[in-house]
Amino acid sequence: MATEAAPMDEKAKRMRDLLSSFYTPDPSISTPTSSISTSFDNINGPSFDADQYMDLMIKKSNLDVLLQRHVQMAAEIKNLDTDLQMLVYENYNKFISATDTIKRMKSNIFGMEGNMDQLLHKIMSVQSRSDGVNTSLFEKREHIEKLHRTRNLLRKVQFIYDLPARLQKCIKSEAYGDAVRFYTGAMPILKVYGDTSFKDCRRASEEAIETIIKNLQTKLFSDSESIQARAEAAVLLKQLDVPVDSLKDKLLEKLEQSLDGLQINPDEASKLAEHNVSSKDEESNNQGPAKIHEDAVRGFSEAMRAYREIFPDSEERLFKLARALTTTHFENMELYIRKRVSAADFLGIFRIIWEDVVLMDEVLPEAALSDLSAEAAQVTLKQFVARTFSHLQQDISDTLLKFDINQKEVVDGEVLKVVLEASGKAVLQGTTDIFQEFRQLLDENTGIFVKMNDLLIDWIQKGFQDFFRSLESHFLVLSGKTSSSNETEGLVEGKSSEKIHAGLILVLAQLSVVIEQKVIPRIAEEITASFSGGNSQAFIPGELCRVFHAASEKLLQHYIDTRTQKISNVLRKRFKTPNWVKHKEPREVHMYVDMLLQQLEEVGKEVKQILPQGTFRKHKRSDSNGSNTTTSSRSTTLHSDKMARSNSQRARSQLFETHLAKLFKQKVEIFTKVEFTQESVVTTTVKLCLKSLQEYVRLQTFNRSGFQQIQLDIQFLKAPLKETVEDEAAIDFLLDEVIVAASERCLDVTPLEPPILDKLIQAKLAKSKEHNNNNNKTTVSS
Amino acid sequence: MQGGSSGIGYGLKYQARCISDVKADTDHTSFLTGTLSLKEENEVHLLRLSSGGSELVCEGLFSHPNEIWDLASCPFDQRIFSTVFSTGESFGAAIWQIPEPYGQSNSSTLDCVASLDAHVGKINCVLWCPSGKSDKLISMDEQNLVLWSLDSSKKSAEVVSKESAGMRHSLSGGAWNPHDVNSVAATSESSIQFWDLRTMKNVNSIERAHVRNVDYNTKREHILVTADDESGIHIWDLRKAKAPVQELPGHTHWTWAVRCNPEYEELILSVGTDSAVNLWFASASSEKQASERSAEASRQRVNPLLNSYTDYEDSVYGLAWSSREPWFFASLSYDGRVLN
Repeated sequence: MATEAAPMDEKAKRMRDLLSSFYTPDPSISTPTSSISTSFDNINGPSFDADQYMDLMIKKSNLDVLLQRHVQMAAEIKNLDTDLQMLVYENYNKFISATDTIKRMKSNIFGMEGNMDQLLHKIMSVQSRSDGVNTSLFEKREHIEKLHRTRNLLRKVQFIYDLPARLQKCIKSEAYGDAVRFYTGAMPILKVYGDTSFKDCRRASEEAIETIIKNLQTKLFSDSESIQARAEAAVLLKQLDVPVDSLKDKLLEKLEQSLDGLQINPDEASKLAEHNVSSKDEESNNQGPAKIHEDAVRGFSEAMRAYREIFPDSEERLFKLARALTTTHFENMELYIRKRVSAADFLGIFRIIWEDVVLMDEVLPEAALSDLSAEAAQVTLKQFVARTFSHLQQDISDTLLKFDINQKEVVDGEVLKVVLEASGKAVLQGTTDIFQEFRQLLDENTGIFVKMNDLLIDWIQKGFQDFFRSLESHFLVLSGKTSSSNETEGLVEGKSSEKIHAGLILVLAQLSVVIEQKVIPRIAEEITASFSGGNSQAFIPGELCRVFHAASEKLLQHYIDTRTQKISNVLRKRFKTPNWVKHKEPREVHMYVDMLLQQLEEVGKEVKQILPQGTFRKHKRSDSNGSNTTTSSRSTTLHSDKMARSNSQRARSQLFETHLAKLFKQKVEIFTKVEFTQESVVTTTVKLCLKSLQEYVRLQTFNRSGFQQIQLDIQFLKAPLKETVEDEAAIDFLLDEVIVAASERCLDVTPLEPPILDKLIQAKLAKSKEHNNNNNKTTVSS
Repeated sequence: MQGGSSGIGYGLKYQARCISDVKADTDHTSFLTGTLSLKEENEVHLLRLSSGGSELVCEGLFSHPNEIWDLASCPFDQRIFSTVFSTGESFGAAIWQIPEPYGQSNSSTLDCVASLDAHVGKINCVLWCPSGKSDKLISMDEQNLVLWSLDSSKKSAEVVSKESAGMRHSLSGGAWNPHDVNSVAATSESSIQFWDLRTMKNVNSIERAHVRNVDYNTKREHILVTADDESGIHIWDLRKAKAPVQELPGHTHWTWAVRCNPEYEELILSVGTDSAVNLWFASASSEKQASERSAEASRQRVNPLLNSYTDYEDSVYGLAWSSREPWFFASLSYDGRVLN
């Protein structure tokens, strides 16, 4: 079916092509490039040659094909014939209908001309009649117009004659606006004819206007009038060509004067506010000046608003004025915060100023007052923060130094403890108070604070950081550890540092610990709690903790140093003065032992007041000393063994024993790290003292008695030292060392007999008991 | 001692306090030490660092009649040295010559060149003039300062001048200014005194209590280092004598001696009774150097302690840098151990 349909289509297509070529005038043009060879056998082509085609067909095909072709061709030709016939017929039909239509049109056009002529006639007649009417009415109209003009003129004249009266009336009713309008309306006429016919009239009206001007001016200057009225007056005056500029100048000067009045105000307010600090019950008192001030500022801003409306070109000056006011405000504020001010007071004044600024800003938004004041406020706030911190530091050092003065009077008692508590409280309380105050600042919702919140947080954090840092250095300076960097003062510092009581150093050390462990974490906590949003990390508690930890260690070390220094001086005197080679037989324990013990006792007292008690003994050290204690005990047993032997033998063997014992002993950690416990500090002090003692002994040469004296002293020292000290093994070791050193430096080593030793010690003990009370009171520490 | 490697040890038989670098020995790195023993025979040891630098060899062992408190080697003759000794009750000072050739035999005797016997009290130290060729000596006791002129060929020493410092200042030691042969610094109870040898007058002083030891910086004029009981080591600029230029923490107990490195001006060595030897980097905080070294200096100033050698078991008293090889130093502890 499809194969059948395809040739059918092909056939139809060819047919259409043929027909279209029939109508086209010159088909050869459309296909100029068709080659000759193809055109021959293309039966539809224009250059088709029937003979050639025939030859080709005969040559190519057999009979069947030819026959078939013949039938096909015949059919096609028949088809073409019928198609052609149909076309001709259709065309003919169309032609006939066209001729019919033309015939009908022709008959319709006839008869139109007559109607047109009639229309023209009618229009002509209408025109002629209207002309007639026009000419007949012309004269009358002209007369009317003339009459009208005269009447207008007359009315004007009437108006001018009436002007003075009218103006007077206006003055009476204070309708200056109308008056000015009338006057300006009549002005041109008066100018032209004023000298002739309207002379009187003009004079009268001018007089009236002058009074009007005067009235207006008074109105302008009078503060009681409403701003609207004043502004109107100014406008009217301007319309009357009165020189307004001079007026404006005058007014602005007046405004400036009023500004001077305002400038004093904040100062007074601050004074009064301060006054209020002392007497808080009189709150109304505080409200009073604040209100007055507010009213004043409000008035000022109103005036400004008015002037702004009145003289739009005077803005610059107003800006200047407003700025001057704000700057003076903030200057006053700075003066004010130079004294100690609580945050609440500060805030109060700040609020007032801010309100002022807001008021003025409403009036003069272009003056950028808020920006200006924001800058100024930043500066003042910063200063405020800095000042608060410095005040706190002052407070703390005051508490510390106050004690220093008292301290000299009272050596005993709990002074140190009290001071530590007081100063610790001062630090803690002070910082928290400060923090509260800053919180207050932050909670303040005044616009300016909201803007500066982030900055403020930053400052506060930085402030804390700086505060603690400066506090640390201040501590060090107080302790006399770091002589000031200023070289000229170096000597002075050095001298004064000796005067600083050792107890103070201890207090400072412990205070540093308190700050490190309590204050800083607390502040850090509060900071994180309240400025959780603040991403700036100006406050670094870790670093501060480290700083204070280092400081506390340094101070503690310094304390021990100063203490041992004192003892060392005692020892030095002891060892320098006598000739040890010619020493006499020991009769009693030497004085210096008393002094040593007394010093140690003092240390113990101070330490007890300040430092916490070590809760447990340092296991670490006792572990490492485990072997020490056994060896030392062994050495003592050896010692007791030897007692039986003869003196000379014993002397030598004792030396040998001590050497031997030393070999077995581990190197005792004499210089361990100091901890913040009573025991640790005392132990360290004792250790250092004994070490010094040993060194002094080594520098001398002794005879027998000298050695015995040392032996006696050391023996006596043993008991009380062991009582006070944590690390007995180390003390034993050091005491032994002293004896060894003395024996090494002795020309004739013969130790005292134990009974004599005991006897002497007992005697000393009895004596010291007897003098115990006196000793404590009378002997002044050197 | 080289770098941070462990030291080379040498044991003396007896206790000892002093060690000195033999400056005149240009071929070897040598040190002299003297023992301090009341009852036994005292010795002077001449120690030499073996060529490989790995061993400390005893080159000579000489007997000395008394216990030696101070010892100083002559800067121009390696065989000459001075000692301060005590016989228990009295003190003396003498100049000795090591016999030639150094006998390997035990306890060969020393030739006494001269005896400095103008003192009565406790003699503290003998100083050789550092200029090298000069034959001047200074000896100090607690009150006096004596300038000697030595004639080694005649085996005699003459007192050139003598000046008393007064009873109040008990002099304890001193150092001769290497930059100015007429100036000597002496430590006393309460201050450091500077003496002009031409006039024998005290010209200047730094108020500082309990200074144990003093040394000039050989490389940089006006710089002086002191060690004291209280707060360790101070570095002074003599032109600004009121306050120290720098302060180093020193030792946990007394800082006994301090020495500047002869070559590297920033290096300072100190020994103390806490049995430690500390090597410090004192970033020459002078203005000139500050700029070029600021980065390094700031780093170093954070921790001026470069190294702490804690090999000793007893207090360390003796200390000397080697002048020939400035990266060696010798230190001496009381129990007679020498470490390099």
